[in-house]
Amino acid sequence: MADDIKILVVDDEPVVIKSCKRILEAEGYNIDGASGGREAIIAMEQKPYDFVITDLKMPEVDGITLIKWIKKSRPETGVLIITGYPSQETIKDALELGIIDYVPKPFTPVVLMDVVARAIEWKQKSVPAEAKKKEEEFPPSMMAELDRMISSYRDKPGSLIPVLQRAQEIVGYLPPIVQKRISKGLNIPAAEVHGVVSFYSFFTMQPRGDHIIKVCLGTACYVKGIDEVLDKIKENLHIGVGEITEDRKFSLEAVRCLGACGLAPVMVIDHDTHSAVTPKKVMQIIDEYRTVGAKA
Amino acid sequence: MGRFRANLMVCAGSGCVATKSLKVKEAFEKELKKRGLENEIDVVLTGCNGFCAQGPIITVHPDEIFYEKIQVEDVPYLVEEHFVKGRPVEKFMYKEPTGKLTIPSMHEIPFFKHQVLRVLRNKGIIDPEKIEDYITRDGYLASAKAVTEMTPREIIEVVKDSGIRGRGGAGFPTGVKWESCARMVSDRKYMCCNGDEGDPGAFMDRSIMEADPHAVIEGMIIGAKAIGASKGYIYVRAEYPLAVHRLQLAIDAATEAGLLGKNILDSGFDFDLEIYQGAGAFVCGESTALMFSIEGRRGMPRLTPPRSTESGLWGKPTVLNNVETLAAIPQIILNGADWFKSLGTEKSTGTKVFSLTGAINNTGLVEVPMGMTIRQIIYDIGGGVPGARRGRKFKAVQMGGPSGGCIPESLIDTPVTFEDIQKTGAIMGSGGMVFMDNTNCMVGMAKFFLEFTTDESCGKCPPCRVGTKIMLDKLNDLAEGRGKEGDIEILEELSYDIIEGSLCGLGQSAPNPVLTTIQYFRDEYESHIKDKWCKVGVCRKLTTFFINEKVCTGCGACMRACPSKAIIGEKKKPHRIIQEVCIQCRTCYDTCRFKSIIIGPADYKGDPMALLEE
Ligand SMILES: Cc1cc2nc3c(=O)[nH]c(=O)nc-3n(C[C@H](O)[C@H](O)[C@H](O)COP(=O)(O)O)c2cc1C
Ligand code: SF4
Ligand code: SF4
Ligand code: SF4
Ligand code: FES
Ligand code: FES
Repeated sequence: MADDIKILVVDDEPVVIKSCKRILEAEGYNIDGASGGREAIIAMEQKPYDFVITDLKMPEVDGITLIKWIKKSRPETGVLIITGYPSQETIKDALELGIIDYVPKPFTPVVLMDVVARAIEWKQKSVPAEAKKKEEEFPPSMMAELDRMISSYRDKPGSLIPVLQRAQEIVGYLPPIVQKRISKGLNIPAAEVHGVVSFYSFFTMQPRGDHIIKVCLGTACYVKGIDEVLDKIKENLHIGVGEITEDRKFSLEAVRCLGACGLAPVMVIDHDTHSAVTPKKVMQIIDEYRTVGAKA
Repeated sequence: MGRFRANLMVCAGSGCVATKSLKVKEAFEKELKKRGLENEIDVVLTGCNGFCAQGPIITVHPDEIFYEKIQVEDVPYLVEEHFVKGRPVEKFMYKEPTGKLTIPSMHEIPFFKHQVLRVLRNKGIIDPEKIEDYITRDGYLASAKAVTEMTPREIIEVVKDSGIRGRGGAGFPTGVKWESCARMVSDRKYMCCNGDEGDPGAFMDRSIMEADPHAVIEGMIIGAKAIGASKGYIYVRAEYPLAVHRLQLAIDAATEAGLLGKNILDSGFDFDLEIYQGAGAFVCGESTALMFSIEGRRGMPRLTPPRSTESGLWGKPTVLNNVETLAAIPQIILNGADWFKSLGTEKSTGTKVFSLTGAINNTGLVEVPMGMTIRQIIYDIGGGVPGARRGRKFKAVQMGGPSGGCIPESLIDTPVTFEDIQKTGAIMGSGGMVFMDNTNCMVGMAKFFLEFTTDESCGKCPPCRVGTKIMLDKLNDLAEGRGKEGDIEILEELSYDIIEGSLCGLGQSAPNPVLTTIQYFRDEYESHIKDKWCKVGVCRKLTTFFINEKVCTGCGACMRACPSKAIIGEKKKPHRIIQEVCIQCRTCYDTCRFKSIIIGPADYKGDPMALLEE
């Protein structure tokens, strides 16, 4: 995957190019460097790049001019900028030109890797889900129910989201194989199904734990100190938001307001709402679910 | 309600269900049966009373005795005393947060006393799962009148004349919206309801849908007749399963009764209604995005015009209204425009529902006439700020959620109307009010809202997608001690760029929380930047905690609470914090009842007592 991705780093300081190269090549990307806007254009005329990471302030042909050229002549190339908050005018121009993201300067390797990974994800949102994960085996009865459900929606307009919701209820999550079945069953392109799944936070492509912990990050809960509760959970279960514990017992999710703000801070486990949760109480509540089997 | 001696109303809104009110209801039924009272006392499940923090809530009619926080164990005693011996039980009644005054009657409790119930007139009184209960309260009279006696023109005139403005955020006049859709000629039109309620910290719409689902449906029927729609959708967020359940029951019952569906009341008018569940994206509350979502696509807003009233759902003329707007409509049709206008101000007529949360004694849902001041809402209804004895004071109220702003103490006498709130830089929004006291950090608040918007931006416009992230990084810098001279100006400039360059309301309003906190709390930003000091002790890297040895009583409470075991001291002697061990969590500050914790700037090595003089 990563070795298919070609990135051009443009900066008049050789040390920036060198450090980007070191960091990103270790991740398996193909990196070339260019010391200015003119060199970058020449390089891009030779071969296609997926992304250009460019500084804005450079002698001769500067970053903005380069981005304008890319948008006109190589629109399929994504642009990231490196900036240390220079003049607002240039950032404003860059934003208007449609850059994907920016890397703050000075940056750490983690930040650079993160921004690049997210840029790739962003670009792929609109292309088909090629995710060739190993096709997990699902019980045939589950697949039969899935197909039955899909066909009951076949001729209704706008049924994709309800079908995905039902499918997630049946299977628990929406791996590529399930998306493919839905795409076929409803006669909707796979890319569109994937686009919808990745857009809505309700849908997950990852398997979930036996118990789902939803922590409310709404305003009322924030003002009442939910972030300390969340820290406590992360620390104790050794997982972040959107992750699942090693023993597959729990997954941790964040939601924005459960509409029970009067009881803030609020956490929901499976279908039970727990009110006025404190960092002190929270692990005790969670531990009670350890011994209970998976939700019905 | 006639043949029973009394009605025992058990609140079954989301809040009280979470505090186990359904178990309490079962316990009541069992206990009443045991004592042979099941034919005398009727047990009814109601929607949210708006006072969820005191839940589970029980009220007994006709005396309107109000009980709070009733647990299963309390039930036998309560039945024995109240229903057998006829002695209402004081210990379960509401008590004033300040004094120890007990208030038995619901209407005497300040939280309820100052409210005027129009949209919420049925809350806690009817069983939302029974259409008969709604009909007894004049339900479906207005839609019957609209469908059988009124012309679309007449309906629109009344609604326009009432002056009602949309309760979903923008405050657009509802009658005008209906009129422009009614004018369109099309083979199909749609009437939709926005129950997405994305503002994190607000739950008005949830409560209305749960407590009085038929009112929303009735409002939609009237709207449909006015614009000429034969099909409607209610878009409800995925986090509201109880609302979906009750709405579905209501739709089925209304259809069964011939009040909804084909040929309503033999008038020849058809209106079919369907619920559509959202899938968790804040931006889908925006009208064009919401319609894409119903069509089964990614909910990304589009450029307007064309407005939805011209080309909305599947390209057909569509009206989208907020839940509360629609629930207010039947009353307007029944009682007339003048009745509606009799409350509120000239440009903001009627009543509005607000949810009060955060640093306030009475958290909950209230309906008040427009034009009441923020002060009245906080002190007369909300019961003030908790912890007044420990020096907690009202600092600001956030209105309008992530699109809104913070209104400071100095503007506490602002009347709550669309136009006055807008003047402060905040917006009315959907009615969420989150209160903050002097322990909340405003830089932290701004950061919180920007985290929300960067997360929820659909990503279509770079200024919104990237610009908010640059701002968030900047705020993180401030909170972690990397702030520099000039950062405030950078934040302001970026804000204007984002407002200008964004396509939909999300991006256009995302900088509001930052702009208003800078406007009203600039000194707080400056102390983060120049002094590396978060004076309220929220931004951990900008604080040092000390104990004021002159005040400390040596009670040891902080020592027991400190998660890092950083506090030492002997009983009844002043305690001390070992700085090397302290992790700046502020627990001691929140624990100490004697105000003896002092918060200093980052790595402060001087005399802590010197900080007090400032
Ligand atoms: C980002 C964004 C989110 C919104 N969320 C909601 C919402 O959750 N509920 C709502 O009623 N209106 C919401 N709105 C406003 C709607 O676009 C629309 O104006 C409203 O539903 C119209 O109803 P009204 O005229 O009755 O207020 C939102 C707008 C934006 C820009
Ligand atoms: S302003 Fe933000 S949320 Fe709205 S369309 Fe643009 S990117 Fe999407
Ligand atoms: S701030 Fe936290 S760690 Fe530090 S002394 Fe107080 S309670 Fe202990
Ligand atoms: S809680 Fe306050 S008074 Fe008690 S020991 Fe700690 S600092 Fe002293
Ligand atoms: S903010 Fe947490 S429930 Fe509303
Ligand atoms: S749910 Fe009972 S008062 Fe709100």
